[in-house]
Amino acid sequence: MKAFQMQCKMEIKRVLRNRYFVFWSLMMPIIFYYIFTNVVNTNAADPAAWKAHYLMSMTAFSVMGSSIMTLGIRMVQERTQGWSTFIRLTPLPDHIYFSAQMVGQSVIHILSITVIFLAGAIINRISLTPMEWFMSGLWILLGSIPFLAMGTLFGLMKKVETAAGISNVLYMVLAVCGGMWMPLEIMPKAMQSIGHWLPSYHFGSGAWEIVQGGLPSWKNIVILFAYLVVFMLLSKYIRRKQEAA
Amino acid sequence: MNEILRLENVTKSFKYKTAVNNISFSMKKGEVTAILGPNGAGKTTTISMILGLLKPTTGDIKLFNSQSQELHVRQKIGTMLQEVSVMPGLTINEILVLIRSYYPEPLPLKDLVNLTGLTEQDLKTRTEKLSGGQKRRLNFALALAGNPELMIFDEPTVGMDITSRQRFWQTINTFANQGKTIIFSTHYLQEADDNAQRILLFKDGSIVADGTPQQIKSRISKKAVSFLTDPEKSLEILYHHSEIEQIFRKNNRVYIYSDHTDKILELLFQEKIGAHDIQIESGNLEEAFRQLTSENKEAI
Ligand SMILES: Nc1ncnc2c1ncn2[C@@H]1O[C@H](COP(=O)(O)OP(=O)(O)OP(=O)(O)O)[C@@H](O)[C@H]1O
Ligand SMILES: [Mg+2]
Repeated sequence: MKAFQMQCKMEIKRVLRNRYFVFWSLMMPIIFYYIFTNVVNTNAADPAAWKAHYLMSMTAFSVMGSSIMTLGIRMVQERTQGWSTFIRLTPLPDHIYFSAQMVGQSVIHILSITVIFLAGAIINRISLTPMEWFMSGLWILLGSIPFLAMGTLFGLMKKVETAAGISNVLYMVLAVCGGMWMPLEIMPKAMQSIGHWLPSYHFGSGAWEIVQGGLPSWKNIVILFAYLVVFMLLSKYIRRKQEAA
Repeated sequence: MNEILRLENVTKSFKYKTAVNNISFSMKKGEVTAILGPNGAGKTTTISMILGLLKPTTGDIKLFNSQSQELHVRQKIGTMLQEVSVMPGLTINEILVLIRSYYPEPLPLKDLVNLTGLTEQDLKTRTEKLSGGQKRRLNFALALAGNPELMIFDEPTVGMDITSRQRFWQTINTFANQGKTIIFSTHYLQEADDNAQRILLFKDGSIVADGTPQQIKSRISKKAVSFLTDPEKSLEILYHHSEIEQIFRKNNRVYIYSDHTDKILELLFQEKIGAHDIQIESGNLEEAFRQLTSENKEAI
């Protein structure tokens, strides 16, 4: 138990010390949020709704980023630096190591969600019901699981540089095409039809529904779940192939 | 239970190469053993199998009478791998606190620092900013963190400066005196000679010699007596003594090879050769190593 707590604590420390994380997951989303709700005139029909909508976009964008990038890159780093091998030789059981990573990651996500929600509430005086705040935060926390699974896929790559490069590009593509930067509705038809199949769109969509007084649709949940299964199977398959080699 | 480690007919074959070929040995509690051998002899492969990082192709390995994966075994071993391992993003102090929390009876942090020569400054440094030697010291501290019964080190002193190296062996000897079992590989033969009670010499995946440093040295290296004498003086009188295997002059110095150097000394005075500046050369480990691992096997 002591080992588990200590492991969680250290995992969290490591993420917070990572400059990439602080920049991409906390500063960028808040700056973007400020720009697209206060500086640039978006001609939104309902400015209050737009401000709440875009806060969800940016929070989802942030949490999706740290899910995809932080976990995967760290896995590659630990493997290439011999740390994974060393840990296998200590009495720390694998499941404790894994669950500590997950708990650490969740704490980080809760922190990001809280910070960005607070920033939004302060910058634009957004007023949601306590239930809406809570539900949208919870949705973003749980909805990030398929992206964590995606992160472990990058974690199987050989080099930190490749993993960082590819995951970063994919992260941006998912964010833009999933309507996190600009709503899908204002994009060309072709982009829209692709976007509707991306996990990032359904991740954001659940939160957008909640702040408009609705609930995430079944389609949101089913598609995110399907992606989770695909990523997990893929990761299992690749791992088996790597072990055989 | 006195036996800490046992390998029985262990073989490891990779796709195109048999790295370890049917080796067997066991280690008792309190033994300090060095694994020697040229590059690619199979030292790291053997250590990896002992640690459970590699599975033997055939054969059986037992630590504390169990498989290496078992928790109680993991709690009793401390390791330094050939490849340096660190965790990015944390300071040395934090890593030590973390790793100590994995073990039931860890060594106090203060002891770890003293034993490994880490400085106050090192403790506050993040691992990505450490020099090679500092990383080694950290790895040594990590190996000791759980106060292990059995220590397994693969080339532990590579990259350490003279002071760290001295400190390292001092610490190892302290632990050896406490009855810890220690096994290490090295390319510095002097380290094996000074610190190990037993040497396992590997060559091409097999163990070609197993014994105390003294035994290994005496088994193969020729001993010699050498001395200075008047160049005019005839040495013919020595030739018919059967103890002498070989005799020759080199740069005014006479060399006599024989297994019985004491006897040769006696002869020198008996025969009044006028020998002075007499030196006895018993073989060193380096010579033994060279002969035992050289290509032609006649030497053994
Ligand atoms: N994963 C592997 N796949 C294929 N061959 C391997 C593998 N690991 C080691 N070998 C081969 O097995 C042999 C023994 O390697 P090992 O690393 O055990 O040597 P070593 O005695 O530790 O050498 P060194 O002194 O250089 O560290 C070498 O010929 C090496 O090329
Ligand atoms: Mg080696």
